[in-house]
Order: sequence, then structure tokens, then C-alpha cells
Amino acid sequence: MRTLSALLCALLAGTVSVAAHHSFAAEYDGEKPVTVTGVVARIDWMNPHIYFYVDVKDDKGGVTQWKFEGYPPNMLVRQGWQRNVTMKVGDTVKVFGWRARVNPTQAASRDVTFADGRKLNSGPPAGTGGQ
Amino acid sequence: MDTRITSSLLTLVLAMSAIDLPLYAQTKPAPPAAQKPIPRTADGKPDLSGVWVGGGFALLFGDAELDAIRKADAAAGRKPLPPQEPPPYKPDAEARRQQYLARRGIDDPMAQCLLSGVPRITVRPLPFEIIQQPHRVVILYEVHHAFRFIPTDGRPHPDDMEPSYLGDSIGRWDGDTLVVDVVGFNTNTWLAGVGTIHSEKLRVTERYTRDTFDTIVYEATMEDPEVLTKPWKQYATLRLRPGERIREYECIENNEDIQRFQKLLDTEFKK
Repeated sequence: MRTLSALLCALLAGTVSVAAHHSFAAEYDGEKPVTVTGVVARIDWMNPHIYFYVDVKDDKGGVTQWKFEGYPPNMLVRQGWQRNVTMKVGDTVKVFGWRARVNPTQAASRDVTFADGRKLNSGPPAGTGGQ
Repeated sequence: MDTRITSSLLTLVLAMSAIDLPLYAQTKPAPPAAQKPIPRTADGKPDLSGVWVGGGFALLFGDAELDAIRKADAAAGRKPLPPQEPPPYKPDAEARRQQYLARRGIDDPMAQCLLSGVPRITVRPLPFEIIQQPHRVVILYEVHHAFRFIPTDGRPHPDDMEPSYLGDSIGRWDGDTLVVDVVGFNTNTWLAGVGTIHSEKLRVTERYTRDTFDTIVYEATMEDPEVLTKPWKQYATLRLRPGERIREYECIENNEDIQRFQKLLDTEFKK
């Protein structure tokens, strides 16, 4: 359905490219979805797109920090996000997205699920803006 | 875009269009609610003033926006836009486009926060505001904080143009359609998607037609004898966003992509 939404979006807008800032495919692989759960360690609420960092614990007690890219602030606020309110450092979150082609702990985020069950889109569908 | 899925979707859209008529004939529902009239200025021209969005509706407002758009179009009886055509490039230009596609759009000037040109800036997924005055139309774009002044008083293009990202615009009215002639471009922009290059000889003719209170049909015809074999048209629906405002968007603020994309070019695509 994610792909379907993106395609319908393109159809409705005409098929003119609707890249937010750059081609998704440039850096991310839409064939490699990833979901992690961890604690938000840092949020760079800046243009041209936000980054947030999530500390993920493994079975042996080790911690890996994931770096997620998301929409620019102007898109997030139009979908109901509030800076320093919706997602805060210390929050436990589940993040779905697609892996970067190079950095093994970087991904393009699509949605974030919070501890209270809220699930919000945080970034574009895979493939957006590639053509 | 996956051709198979696109075909299926087109079939679905066409099928949905096809069943509209029989259903209408059978059930004879009440006529659609009266549409708000298209606002007009004192001189009788359609007033295009307002905040509009030309693309990326789900990116900007969430997935539910697509349903809202479908319902609004159905209620207004709007026809689908003409199908898009691939760019009619000369062989050399097409070969260059294919190279950019193979590099997955990494070379996109937009990724460096450079100003998008015309018509691409129209469909960037951030709003723009049209301010219509008797002697000119002004467009303020949230993306890049860009602006265009479009005189409609009959003046020609200036004779001291320097090649620029948005070119130089002059407008005129063709009935109820605002027609904008844009020339004087540099070559640092892509027209409509990855690798859609052009030369300084590019001429873009935009047509803005407010077909309903809530929508403008946007048509851009691109002519460039250096790279195109014939004029290339692109279409979009611009949608009014009452209550929306133009916000600040400083693209370069934290653009890590410049460095990371250069790294990709230096490694994965190093010759």
C-alpha cells in the first residue's frame, strides 16, 4: 500500500517529479526495509530534512545508534508534528524505514510509533522523486 | 516507476471513470452541490490569488489527502489530466538523461539546495502564493524563498537578461487563461524529473487556467531546439489551500547530502 499511495500521489499530481529535496534512490534502497525499536538520543530538527538518532540495544547489552532521515520540518508540522513535543529525546520509539546503501546504521524513516501507540508518518515513501 | 503497477493503476482509474456514467444514469443522484464561482478581479479576469500546492500532496499533508483530492475532483466533475509523455530528447540528450538515471539522481541540482527552475518549482511539495495585481502577477514560493514577478502590462522581456534559474517571465491573458512566457534560463536546473536537462535556448510557456474555485489546471510547454526534437508538455493540478501560509524554508541549513552524495560519486561511480 505504501507504493500504491506513492504512485497514486504521482498520478494525481501528474507525473511530474515530486521529490521533496532529492531522489530517494540516490542514497536509500527501497528493497531493504528495516524496523528498529530504541530510545531517541538526538533530534536535528533542521532543513532540508530532519535527522533523529535512536539507540538500539542488542541481546548482549550492546547499543547501536541508528541515524534516521525524515521530512523537512515544514512538512512535519503540516502533518501535526510539533518540535520538542511530538518526539523528545528519551522517548522509546519504533521506527520503520529503508536502509541506506552505504552506511549500515542509517535509514530513511517512513513512520514512527510511539509508546502510547500513536503512529505518525515521518518521511516519504520509498521511491519518491526518483524519476 | 514500476510500469506494471502504473498500468494497473491507470486501468483502475479508467475503470472507475467508466463506471461513473452508468451509475449516474441508473440512480440519477442529485446534481453536485453548487460549486463556488471562480473569483474575478475588477477587470473581469479570473483571480488566481491564494496559496496553492502543485504536487506531493500526501508528502505535505499526509496520506489521507489523496482521498480528499479524489472526492473533491469527483464532486467538481473534474476530468483527469492528459497523460504525461516522456521527454522527446535528441539522442545525445537522452543518453545524458539515462546516465543521470543510472546514477539514481545523485547529480540533482536540487539536492545541493540550488534553486529549481520552471516548471519544476511549481510541483515541489511546498506551497506557493499567487498575488494578482492589475499590472502583474507575483508568485512567492516557500521552497528556496523564491519569487517571480510576471508583468502583464504588455512589456517585452528586458534586453539585459543574464541567464538565471527561474528565467524572465512576462504574462498575458488568453481569455480566462494566464499565459506566461519564460526565457533567459541558465543550465543549472532540471525541467521535470531526474536528468531532464536543457540548454540556455529553453523557452517555457505556462498556462494557468482556474477551472474550479479550488483548482488551477497548469500546463507547461517546453521548447529547446538544442536538446528536444519537439515541444514537451507537462501538466499538474494546482490546489487551493485556504488557511495555509507560506513558511520559511532555508534549504542549506543542514544539507548533509552535498558531502554524502559527493562521497557516492567518488566511490560507487568513480570511473
